[in-house]
Amino acid sequence: MAAAVAAALLASGCTPGSGGGGDDSGSSGSTFEFWSFTAINQKADVDAYMKKHPETRIKLTEVGSTSETAQALTAALAGGKVPDLVLIQGDDLPKFMQSPENFVDLNTLGADKMTGDYLDWVIKQPTTPDGKVIGIPTDVGGMAIAYRKDLFEAAGLPTDRAAVSKLWTTWDGFTEVGRKYVQATGKPFVDNTPTSVFFQAVNQGTERYYDSAQNLVYDRNPQVRAAFDLTLKVFAAGISAKQTSFSAGWTAGMGKGDFAVVSAPSWMLNSIRTNAPGTAGKWDIATIPGGSGNWGGSFLAIPKRAKNPEAAWKYIADMQSPAGQLDHFLMQGSLPTTPSVYTDPKLIGKTDPFFSGAPIGKIYTESVVNIKPFYIGLNDAAIGTELLNTLTSVEQGKVKPDRAWDTAMTNVKNALRG
Amino acid sequence: MTTTLAPATPPDAGAPPTRYRHIQQGLRERLAPYAYIAPFFVLFFIFGLFPLLFTFYVALFEWNPIGEHRYIGLTNFTELFQDPRFWGALRNTFSIWLLSTVPQLLLALGVAHLLNQVRLRAATFFRMAVLVPYVTSVAATTIVFAQLFDRDYGMLNWFLELLGFAHIDFTASVWGSHLMIATMVAWRWTGYNTLLYLASLQAVPRELYEAAAVDGAGSWQQFRHVSLPALRPIIVFTVVTSTIGGLQIFTEPLLVNPVGGLTCGAARQCQTLTLFLYEQGFGRFHFGYGAAIGVTLFALVVIIALINYLLITRIRWERP
Repeated sequence: MAAAVAAALLASGCTPGSGGGGDDSGSSGSTFEFWSFTAINQKADVDAYMKKHPETRIKLTEVGSTSETAQALTAALAGGKVPDLVLIQGDDLPKFMQSPENFVDLNTLGADKMTGDYLDWVIKQPTTPDGKVIGIPTDVGGMAIAYRKDLFEAAGLPTDRAAVSKLWTTWDGFTEVGRKYVQATGKPFVDNTPTSVFFQAVNQGTERYYDSAQNLVYDRNPQVRAAFDLTLKVFAAGISAKQTSFSAGWTAGMGKGDFAVVSAPSWMLNSIRTNAPGTAGKWDIATIPGGSGNWGGSFLAIPKRAKNPEAAWKYIADMQSPAGQLDHFLMQGSLPTTPSVYTDPKLIGKTDPFFSGAPIGKIYTESVVNIKPFYIGLNDAAIGTELLNTLTSVEQGKVKPDRAWDTAMTNVKNALRG
Repeated sequence: MTTTLAPATPPDAGAPPTRYRHIQQGLRERLAPYAYIAPFFVLFFIFGLFPLLFTFYVALFEWNPIGEHRYIGLTNFTELFQDPRFWGALRNTFSIWLLSTVPQLLLALGVAHLLNQVRLRAATFFRMAVLVPYVTSVAATTIVFAQLFDRDYGMLNWFLELLGFAHIDFTASVWGSHLMIATMVAWRWTGYNTLLYLASLQAVPRELYEAAAVDGAGSWQQFRHVSLPALRPIIVFTVVTSTIGGLQIFTEPLLVNPVGGLTCGAARQCQTLTLFLYEQGFGRFHFGYGAAIGVTLFALVVIIALINYLLITRIRWERP
């Protein structure tokens, strides 16, 4: 889902896959090619690594959005020049897990010594049933809520992050705060309900669209239904600005303060920062209703036909070690997947001036350590998109709330054909 | 080149041509034209015909581009014809095509006629100006139009509010989103078609207009009885090309309504056939299903191009 949304953000990406680059040198010695997606700033990592290892030359290509990168990788794997190293977003991973023979089993390069460093439910995702590891996790998307302190104050609500967190220990509490805000200001409270409520709530369960035996249960899992109905309830409370995430109106509304609250998985902070630079210092971050949850995260993989898998592996082993991920967090803000650094004073002490000095390391790691992991299958992204889209149609007045669940089920069934 | 233009040895100057040389020369003359046109055909076979035929082949498979290929016969097609998303995309495609092509060609005709006036000042400037939308990047155009049509902060809705109307959520509704995309398409292609028409009009001898003017024909009558008959062949051409283009509208619906990824809106309200193809093929990696959509679209374009051709040639024959 994050992938689909991010795809939309970008005009049109180029596909280096089929064309074959044009650079003749290729990968040899300590030179290797790395495909990443935009907006995640892998360049900083690459530069840092090349400074440490001046003999290494990394050719970084930011292919496009997360899904465009996955598309380019697919084209390359199907018959083209593959990179030596590629970043795959979590939602796209199941597609590649279907054919793990396209990737190097990282255990053969030494991953078996590292897999214990990562959150077990995260490293499980790129691990095949027979124990091959085709990706190393780079980050997780812990959850929180970003809110506008100044607007809360104007509405007579508490502004301190601990007090605000206490107001919404549950989603019902969240709705209640929203009602008060709307009454006091006459303005909508939350940017939208499909992304800010449904996609957070559905990621807080113990099972999502598949059960632990990998059967599709999206239509009968009470947790999915509960998250869906919760979203309709929050929408019915009349507190939504109905601005679809990442749309032009959403960006404009965020800058103008036309809503006071945005659900913020850790990677969303950067989006707020760049979309509404004028609001620096007016935001703060509170915990998410329900306390924990994860949405997002990416993996580094090495295609089977890579010319220089050793150099690529050295990069992974260095940058994705607990210390490497901690450095990346302190520099960029995306959350480590290595729990051993969650207690590191540097992580705990990390604050973000854009969000009023909120201790982002502490807030986000707390949201992922208590996670109850669920199985993510091949069609998770498609099902999520259809459910989200139906809820968006409800916000747009095109689907009646009491017909929403049936419509969503029909849409998912259609999406699963073909 | 600088020394002489005449061949050093004229062909007939040497030994008397033998029978063999005659044949060789004849062969060369007969083959030469094929060699001249070969580059196009070689490229066409590699990048046109082969992918086309390969698409027909892939459509018969459940085809994972990086995994297994399983032959399933015509299942992709039977699935497709039962898929409401396909019928929705078909409706959207036709609706956007009609909404964009008809006004676009009529407008182009009118503008071409105006630009063809002898008394027009700065004619070259205006003729170049109509082409500006065509050379502007589609992505840039789309993003700007999307902002114009925005629900809360768009300029169009700002005008509506000024006039006392409620805001319209263009992207969310079927007709609104179609209108929006049709506007972009028309904006982009009107100038291009105008220039095609204008080029044809320029070929019409001035005397015909002068004669018509002497006979007392006004601007409209000149247009009706002099310009239009001369334009018939080029109208056939533009109708066929805009039809083919209109059925393949892709970039605008991809970018105008980013909500929901590749569906042009939460309810697929403006997803065209090509975008549906892209979603299935490259969003979901269902290459077989995507290929089946491609084949169906191909058949549609052929049928409609034929209908177009028949309609327009009949018109031509009726009014020689």
